[in-house]
Amino acid sequence: MKHFKLFTSSLMALAMASSTASVAESFAITNATVHTVTQQGVLENATVVIENGKITAINPKTVQADTIIDAKGKILTPGFIGAMNQLGLVEVGAVSRSRDASDKKADITFDASLAFNPRSSVIPYSRKGGITSNIVAPRGGEDIFKGQSFVVDLSGEFESVRLSNHNVIVDLSAKSKGSRALSLQTLQQTFADASKKLAKTKQKNKNEAKDPSRQDLIVNALLAGDKALVAYVDRASDILTLLKIKAEYSLDLVIVGAADAVLVAEQIAQANVPVVLAALDNLPGSFDSLHASLENAAALSQAGVSVALAVNGDTHNLYQLRYHAGNAVANGLSRDQALASVTANVADAFNLDSGRIAVGKRADLVLWSADPFELSTQVSQMWIDGKQYSTTSRQDALRDRYTTDSDMPRAYTK
Amino acid sequence: MQKFFPSVVMAALTVALTGCLQSEQQNEKVVFNDNPYPSTYKVLPSQTTLIKNATVLTGTGTRLDNADVLMVDGKINKVGQNLAVEGAVEVDAKGKWLTPGIIDVHSHLGVYPSPSVESHSDGNEMSSPNTSEVWAEHSVWPQDPGFQAARAGGITTLQILPGSANLFGGRGVTLRNVPSHTMQGMKFPDAPYGLKMACGENPKRVYGNRKVLPSTRMGNMAGYRMAWAEATEYKRAWEQYEADYAAGKNPTAPVRDIELDTLKGVLDGDILIHNHCYKAEEMAMMIDLSKEFNYHAGTFHHAIEAYKIADLLAENGNCAAMWPDWWGFKMEAYDMVHENVAIVDAVKNSCAVVHSDSASTIQRLNQEAGKVMYRANDNGFEVTPELAITWITANAAKSLGLADKTGSLESGKNADVVIWNQNPFSVYAQAEQVFIDGAKVYDRFDEKYQAKSDFMLGQR
Repeated sequence: MKHFKLFTSSLMALAMASSTASVAESFAITNATVHTVTQQGVLENATVVIENGKITAINPKTVQADTIIDAKGKILTPGFIGAMNQLGLVEVGAVSRSRDASDKKADITFDASLAFNPRSSVIPYSRKGGITSNIVAPRGGEDIFKGQSFVVDLSGEFESVRLSNHNVIVDLSAKSKGSRALSLQTLQQTFADASKKLAKTKQKNKNEAKDPSRQDLIVNALLAGDKALVAYVDRASDILTLLKIKAEYSLDLVIVGAADAVLVAEQIAQANVPVVLAALDNLPGSFDSLHASLENAAALSQAGVSVALAVNGDTHNLYQLRYHAGNAVANGLSRDQALASVTANVADAFNLDSGRIAVGKRADLVLWSADPFELSTQVSQMWIDGKQYSTTSRQDALRDRYTTDSDMPRAYTK
Repeated sequence: MQKFFPSVVMAALTVALTGCLQSEQQNEKVVFNDNPYPSTYKVLPSQTTLIKNATVLTGTGTRLDNADVLMVDGKINKVGQNLAVEGAVEVDAKGKWLTPGIIDVHSHLGVYPSPSVESHSDGNEMSSPNTSEVWAEHSVWPQDPGFQAARAGGITTLQILPGSANLFGGRGVTLRNVPSHTMQGMKFPDAPYGLKMACGENPKRVYGNRKVLPSTRMGNMAGYRMAWAEATEYKRAWEQYEADYAAGKNPTAPVRDIELDTLKGVLDGDILIHNHCYKAEEMAMMIDLSKEFNYHAGTFHHAIEAYKIADLLAENGNCAAMWPDWWGFKMEAYDMVHENVAIVDAVKNSCAVVHSDSASTIQRLNQEAGKVMYRANDNGFEVTPELAITWITANAAKSLGLADKTGSLESGKNADVVIWNQNPFSVYAQAEQVFIDGAKVYDRFDEKYQAKSDFMLGQR
């Protein structure tokens, strides 16, 4: 065999990984190059102290912690946040009974977090990409409302749903059957009807008023700004229509897809609406995306839009998020904005208490071997809620099985 | 059509063997045109070009620092240090990297183009499990904007394949990635045809749903075997016709069958197999199948489990075309490992290829190969850039039967060259200039060399 030497330390790493995942009361990461993704920017030779899953101090005068981890100058970033995928809802795409992201009957109340599987093999694999938490988006059914997004961490532990029934997903994109006009009209009428009902309820006294339906409660939460409306939309004119609806009902709006958003970047920036896009989508896949370009993330960011990046398509590719950010940098996005686009901007768009290295934030942290976006880089260590997790996955076990010499059939190599 | 004149020796031999002296009146021999849609590709305007001071990955496993590459008359003339040629256009590539043009052995550009509208869905003739009679080239829409995007990623040659719904999906065609308003204007001159075959889940799902064979993997195998058995008879019938004609007889030609023509082309060694086949046990059976019917099993595409049978593939001379990290979209893609390509490559006489099957990742095959290189090196391999580049150049050319024409920077080969702004295995790498047959077809900094499809023209 050429270019290959037998390697056993990855097997050892696998063995060690489980034992390292233990909670320290408190620990400090010292000598790190800390990318805070806050006003503080990058802190060289910095110390971050973590206690009970939270960041409790940055560069304290004296370091008090049970454990000290010397980062040796490596880059520490907030854990990356995946968005708008089906993590934990789909194990294998073409295996129908491993899919729980959609249901024909699903409506605005659809709570797919009930089916979230923290033992999915996609989760440890995705940790290789430095992803520590994720916004899961159900795909719903025939209704324009696809259900409610929920937030998970990537610990793979049984209690890893952080927020369920979080935001509301609506699909306003082009349709192969029917007209998108009806989607927009339905959306508008939903808010108009709910506003009217709310006004009437206020006039009645409490005893007369009927209890609002489950659907109504969610729409009311959107109207109150307690939930964000997360809308799939690509075409520029549709985005403008949606911005009008947002203005009329004071919605907390997030635009997803946004292939042609560059045409109306100023209006989006003025409306202070964040955009979630796929950085590598640069082909005119439809008449709604004639302006798709590798430079769109940069162009929107320069126009003042808060850009979050998401890996579109199959959720198994979620780990590639950091490469998408790197490609966005190669195509004009600033490094700072690229890092924000996979951390703070995602947190801001979806109202999460993570995505930054700051006192009080969740200790979702990643220590990188080098530049987080570069292909040659790996995750050195990562923490979710202050607890360390390994990036070892089933794929590593398969590789080791087939690269370890044995006289016996491979099945005996475990 | 060529007339056939039996030689005196052959005629004498025939007489001796048959003892038959009568000579029949022969009809004109039935001969088919095996190139009815010939390439009309013309090299774009080019000049003698000398690229200087680059880090050169030759595609033959060598890296040359601070080296020069000379392109004359569309061919690689010389690669070395301190080259100087009077009158050559000089390109200073100091700090930049230079590689052979990138080759994708698995693309559906043009047959599943952008925009992906109903009327453009021309890649999968899902009407019968054996559609060896269809040719992907007849579906190619040369205005697919994806061709331009791929060129900006350094793609100079690509094979367009039919989809994988059928056991036999039809012929693939290899294209030069030059803008043209006809398919023939892109067709790689003298490239062998490919035949797309498909193992596993897709054919059995598509036809199983219609309650016709195949609905199982054993049905898949039966389908291939019945087809090859028929093709063997067809080939024999034609050979008998040829032999009888050569013997001076006046035989009746077999009835021509367009479907069997393609299978016969494989049995004759003229058409190369490109087999969508993910799983180790299926690839092993496809190799045995090829031995049963005496053809070569060719290249396995999407070979997710190639690492499990790397020795077998090398022993049998099969290329394996792989992704670095796609997985999990179906059962047969569940056992992906990041090091797959490197494990296959590590065996002597192997042929590891990185492919895209995607209008998006075809634009970044350099990064796809890079991912494999780094993950393999994280786990004990020692893959160098000069080796990794062969997965998307020389080995890909071998898979397509074009190793004598492209895929490396050896003197006399087609001058297909990419100048990168840096090490191509970086996430920040970008192709700056792309040459096909010595002609510049793309320049990142010169709009003059940035083609635009008819479809995108005037859109607002």
